[in-house]
Amino acid sequence: MRKLTALVLCGVLCISTLVGCSKKANNEKAENKTTNTTETTTTTTEETEALPEGVLSEEKATLKIYAQYADEDTKVPYDYAVEQLKVAYPNVTLELEPQAQDDGQKLMTYAATGNLPDIYQVALAQIENFKQSGNIMVLNDVAKSTGFEDKVFDSAKNILYNEDGNIYAFPYAGNEYVVWYYNKAIFEKYNVEVPKTFDQLLTAIETFKANGIVPMSMFGAEGWITAAMYDVLATRWDAGGIAKLDNGEGTAKEDAYAKAADMLHTLVKAGMFQGSVTTTNYDQASEMFLNGEAAMFLNGQWYMTDATNKLGDDVDWMYYPSYDEASYEAGKTVWSGGGAAAGYAVNPNSKNAELAAKVAAFLSEKYCEAKVMYRGTPLVALDVDVQPETEFPAMMKKLQADLPAITSITKFDWHLSNATFKTALEDQTKYLMIEDYTPEEFIKELNNALQQ
Amino acid sequence: MKKFYSNKIAIVLFALPALALFTVMVFYPIVQVFLKSFYDWNGLGSGTFIGLDNYTTLFKDTVFHLSNKNALIFAIVITVFQMTLATIFSIVVSNKKMKGRGFLRVSYFIPVVLSVTVVCQLWLAILNTDTGLLNAIFKALGIDFQQNWLANRHKAIYVIAFVNAWQWMGYQFALLMAGIKSIPSDYYEAAKIDGASSIMAHRKVTIPLLKETYKICLTISLTGGVKAFTEMFIMTKGGPGNATYTLTYLMYKAAFREFRYGYGMAAASMLVLQCLAIILIINWLFRDKEERSERKCNKRMARQLSQ
Amino acid sequence: MQQKNGKTVKSIANRLGTLIFRMFCWIYAAFSLYPVIWLLFYSFKNNSEIFVTNPFGFPRVLHIENYTKAWAQYDVPMYFSNSIIVSVFTVIITIVLALLFSYATARMQWKGKNIAKVYMSLGMFIPIQAILIPVAKLVNGLGLDSTRWGLILVYAAINLSFASLVFYGNLKGIPIEIEEAACMDGASIFKCFIKIIVPLVKPATATLVIYTFLNAWNEFNLANVLIIEEKLKTLPLGLLFLQGSFTTDWGAMGATMVIASLPTILLYCIFSKQVENAMTIGGAVKG
Repeated sequence: MRKLTALVLCGVLCISTLVGCSKKANNEKAENKTTNTTETTTTTTEETEALPEGVLSEEKATLKIYAQYADEDTKVPYDYAVEQLKVAYPNVTLELEPQAQDDGQKLMTYAATGNLPDIYQVALAQIENFKQSGNIMVLNDVAKSTGFEDKVFDSAKNILYNEDGNIYAFPYAGNEYVVWYYNKAIFEKYNVEVPKTFDQLLTAIETFKANGIVPMSMFGAEGWITAAMYDVLATRWDAGGIAKLDNGEGTAKEDAYAKAADMLHTLVKAGMFQGSVTTTNYDQASEMFLNGEAAMFLNGQWYMTDATNKLGDDVDWMYYPSYDEASYEAGKTVWSGGGAAAGYAVNPNSKNAELAAKVAAFLSEKYCEAKVMYRGTPLVALDVDVQPETEFPAMMKKLQADLPAITSITKFDWHLSNATFKTALEDQTKYLMIEDYTPEEFIKELNNALQQ
Repeated sequence: MKKFYSNKIAIVLFALPALALFTVMVFYPIVQVFLKSFYDWNGLGSGTFIGLDNYTTLFKDTVFHLSNKNALIFAIVITVFQMTLATIFSIVVSNKKMKGRGFLRVSYFIPVVLSVTVVCQLWLAILNTDTGLLNAIFKALGIDFQQNWLANRHKAIYVIAFVNAWQWMGYQFALLMAGIKSIPSDYYEAAKIDGASSIMAHRKVTIPLLKETYKICLTISLTGGVKAFTEMFIMTKGGPGNATYTLTYLMYKAAFREFRYGYGMAAASMLVLQCLAIILIINWLFRDKEERSERKCNKRMARQLSQ
Repeated sequence: MQQKNGKTVKSIANRLGTLIFRMFCWIYAAFSLYPVIWLLFYSFKNNSEIFVTNPFGFPRVLHIENYTKAWAQYDVPMYFSNSIIVSVFTVIITIVLALLFSYATARMQWKGKNIAKVYMSLGMFIPIQAILIPVAKLVNGLGLDSTRWGLILVYAAINLSFASLVFYGNLKGIPIEIEEAACMDGASIFKCFIKIIVPLVKPATATLVIYTFLNAWNEFNLANVLIIEEKLKTLPLGLLFLQGSFTTDWGAMGATMVIASLPTILLYCIFSKQVENAMTIGGAVKG
């Protein structure tokens, strides 16, 4: 028996080493081939002037791309963009590496070792870090030459330019919103009015709890949604919300932030969220809402399609409740959410940096198209001339009707530029989700982070 | 014999390959960690030298003190849990009269074989306040002990430590089993001739002879507790809030979420120093006793065998 | 008479104690096995069953598509064989180097062996996340970044600390007389090492093989940053295809984890037999 195992092991070893070696050799060959051909083709493309219709460039290259590719919301746009790329850039091949949910560890290591892919998706905080070390390309010229800049909605110009006025990434998501969803059927069943004030909200919570319904399910394992919940409350007193703190225009000691923390604490104590809120993940909380176990749910507007698919007409969204009816009415135009200058960025040290930049702009544009056509969201960065394949959900139409009147938006957690504040906000708002954490501690810690 | 053991060529051939690989792949990066802890650095570029600033900030950081407290709790919980159960189970399973011992032996080790992700997801499900198995059991038994297991700022760390202890107990069990198997069986026979009961035989023979194995187990538990990370990362993300932060978590937060890489490296350096202190203390505690007990044991054996 | 009564009460109490104790052993064992069953069920459920309607029971509908989905996401056989190659080489290098090193520190006489021992244990103290970037730079600098060897050597180096510690303890636990008796007849130290020591540490080797293999097999963080070529990716990286920034396909994750766990459970069953057999080997050497 032992001999047999030993033999098998030896066999596996020999084969695997052989395979490993030959694969490597092939790799090298292939790489040599592509680099040779890129050199030759770049010279030829400059000579050819007339390109076939729909073709933007005949340059030949294999580009490495690091992008999110895991769920419908990321796969559909990517696959669509790749299909379109085959027409516009017939000789460009993309080599996809799916992004890890690892707080940017991999991207950071890539940057540190000089292995950054040609094109990569990047968040705002990383841009700040990368631009100091020359790991991100300034895309101003490409944005002009490809016409990307002109296609950006006027209302979304804020998400194209970095604080320093440069373009570092081609955005595809537009300004987005934190939406307070509720299940109409449950509200009707228990005769609960859609709450306008916090007092009404507390009454509703009581009714739901008495009937074994979780008032609101929340994926408190993720800091961004608890931060969004806090932001929703804070904007009732100060339209600046967490964005104001992030921009350094206010301190956590201001009245609005203390009141919001108090309110959140009160809601938590009243039992607004499920018991395991701090360890509940996105899918878990979402399933609770979709299965009718929770009456309300907080999420971005991108959730409208999924919610409508499962709950049909039973799901709707409400304006955020406030401390009194007057502020409720006034607050209808003040939203939590926003956008940021983030999206597809380019590695300036790439051999094909220029081409990669053009491709990145192209991909972002195609993402916008795919999101409108297949994902039921018109809230994209670019004005793209496509029609949605299926009608937008009713909730989206309702939101669209409100958009022009919106006077103020804040930021999503991942759009905050002060990384220390962002981290503290995530941790501290999660902490507020448990009953025995006091609003005073919360404000103190938040303030500490802001002072660093 | 002494000459035999001081063969210079043999020493070099035996010790050097491991030392060389270790120095290049692990020690050199550790040196980098210490060096960078003196810099204000975001992980890219070169950063600026700031002397001990990171350390002074660290010592003032409330989360640092909380992390140390958590590490201590974590280390104690897993040490007590694992060493007690591993000892009991390894003695039970090595008893040839125990029925089904092969099955038990495999079972105790199974949690180690599974990845941490699986085990953490399982415990998240079991510990869930509303749908979890544990609260359901308490409810069914009519015991009023249902609670938010992972959402309690003071108790969550114990619960996570328990999950870690539960998963890795099997490893200490296997180590002790291997140790017991290496003890020549005539040692026990000698003890039995002496008229010792089986529990006595274990206390007199097994446990003293396994001193070195216990030392290893203690080292694993304590250092494992001090640098605990994965369970927090998957189950509570250091939460609720920062209630289950450990030094590794603090390091991770600083380096990758806040881009304060230098500060994170200061936390990592403290971690290494703490672990080093622990291992030196363990070595010191065990040194005397170990040699004494070895001598004693050998003498006794020699006496018994000669009789 | 009284004494006799006392004795029977005592023996009944003893028996009851033994019974309770045995029950505890068995219940604990059952609960150790439960995760495997739970994972199997899990891998056939959808998100709704996993989280809300049926977290613990048998799946109501068998979602076999979890497996086909996991299979379609990435090249499972390739990732799988990469994992095997990396893990096997890690095990071989770790075990050989660690055993040699611990023999040198546990038995041989040289200055600085205690320092060398503590030095080697440093690897157990450092969190992987702290050395992620320095290690990646190093592997890059050595030109190993597009080969498997980068990952294998780093894994081996990290596991050396623990393996050396275990071997050292094991060697110290072996009475020196056994070795002396066998080695005094003029055999060289190398011959003595192979003939006497290697068989004696078999039980420890078996546990270390399992442990090191598992470490390499399940490792995610280093693999995530060190492997830059699709062709070299290991199994834990396959999970990336299923984890979105918001939603995750947990059923397919379960299926992937079943695919990843089966070989390790198998390996354990093979090697745990070796541990069991080691008893007779130890005896044979003695005789």
